[in-house]
Amino acid sequence: MTLDVDVLIVGAGPAGSIAAAEAAREGPALHVMLLERDRAVGAPVRCAEGVGDAGLREFADPDGAPWVARKITRVIFLAPDNTEVQVAERDVGWILDRTRFDACLAAEAVAAGADLRVGTEATDMSRDGDGWWRVEIRGPDGRATCRARVVIGADGVETMVGRWAGLDTRVPARDMESCAQYVVQGIDFDPDAIYLQFGDQIAPGGYAWLFPKGDRVANVGLGLVALKTDGRNARQYLDAWIARRYPRGAKTGYTVGGVIVHTTIRQTYAEGVLLAGDAAHMINPLSGGGIVNAMKAGRLAGRAAARAIAAGDTSARRLSVYHAEWMRLLGDDHLKYYRIKQALERMDDGFYNGLARTANAIPQPKRTLGRIFAHALVRHPQLIPVAARFFV
Amino acid sequence: MPPVHLPEVAVVDLDTCDRCGLCLPLCPPAAIHLEGNDLTVDREACTGCRKCVAPCPVGALAMVPA
Repeated sequence: MTLDVDVLIVGAGPAGSIAAAEAAREGPALHVMLLERDRAVGAPVRCAEGVGDAGLREFADPDGAPWVARKITRVIFLAPDNTEVQVAERDVGWILDRTRFDACLAAEAVAAGADLRVGTEATDMSRDGDGWWRVEIRGPDGRATCRARVVIGADGVETMVGRWAGLDTRVPARDMESCAQYVVQGIDFDPDAIYLQFGDQIAPGGYAWLFPKGDRVANVGLGLVALKTDGRNARQYLDAWIARRYPRGAKTGYTVGGVIVHTTIRQTYAEGVLLAGDAAHMINPLSGGGIVNAMKAGRLAGRAAARAIAAGDTSARRLSVYHAEWMRLLGDDHLKYYRIKQALERMDDGFYNGLARTANAIPQPKRTLGRIFAHALVRHPQLIPVAARFFV
Repeated sequence: MPPVHLPEVAVVDLDTCDRCGLCLPLCPPAAIHLEGNDLTVDREACTGCRKCVAPCPVGALAMVPA
């Protein structure tokens, strides 16, 4: 059986669902199909579920939404020696219930006119003679071939679409964070705050986190760079951290995954193909956050695909406008964040312990990230090259 | 220049593997494949570079003699 569609989106995460909705709205006459490999959109969750307030509001209103777990108004940094630094912020962000959030985004794509297929996986893809893609799919009804004018790969860190399209999505080991996370119940923390701890013994090259999900329940995880470890894997580091900080907690859920802390791949497009979200390495390399970035990229990709089809030109050259738009929107900023990340990688535990004491000398109401950075430059002149590279 | 093949190949322990996909973009020759519930290493394509081993969050990848 062969099915012809205009836009085929592989992966119904935030990038894919927003791309599908946007393509369907931009081209109401287009057949837009959205594939999800897993049997349920949004499950299993491979995410710490934190998202910034301003970025989220571009796409959805979190106030009272059923897909919100917690509102976050404080950030607490923990130095390697456990010195706490509470940063003054307002409307910091939200902890999502990704299972519900992703399902809600997919439902909006369907409402816009997209055709969602769950439990359906793309297994191979090749270029057809007439400029279409032939995508082999496998789902509840067996195998089929889907012909598509444009394929949007929103298929995450492992992106098979990128590979099939011949795009270079490889990552150097130093820019891959290996992550593990438990849902931990029955522990005490400030439910309005997220906690982030740095340290070579805790999460070398990354950080450990606690993101509240509810009453005494939180996502507790860490990401690290394997090249910097003592040989233990991410789960072993996490078990040690939880044993120290939350020894009485019940680990009732568990997930692992990779976060690419690199910069956007050189080319996010090919003939009739666009990549969006984690597949195109669109994660903020400093924070490791990727949800809002994925949605922003998905919106650009969906629109670019629909407009290319309307213009009768789905060539790589035409689709390159997507890449240029993404780089202007966020991709160029990620190059700067990546430079900061590289500079901070050279700092040791002593630096972070000293920075925590410096930061705590600033009165709490004035202790913003900007002021901490300014004070850090005065007290730790070795950071000046970082600032210079950031602002140049 | 053809890739240098070392006398080892990566193998995955599917009981431990979580199918998170982290190892795929780390593999220079794209020898690791994820389809359905199967994560496989193409023994012919694997160059034995070990880049996938340490980053696995659960330690599901190891090297064995080729």
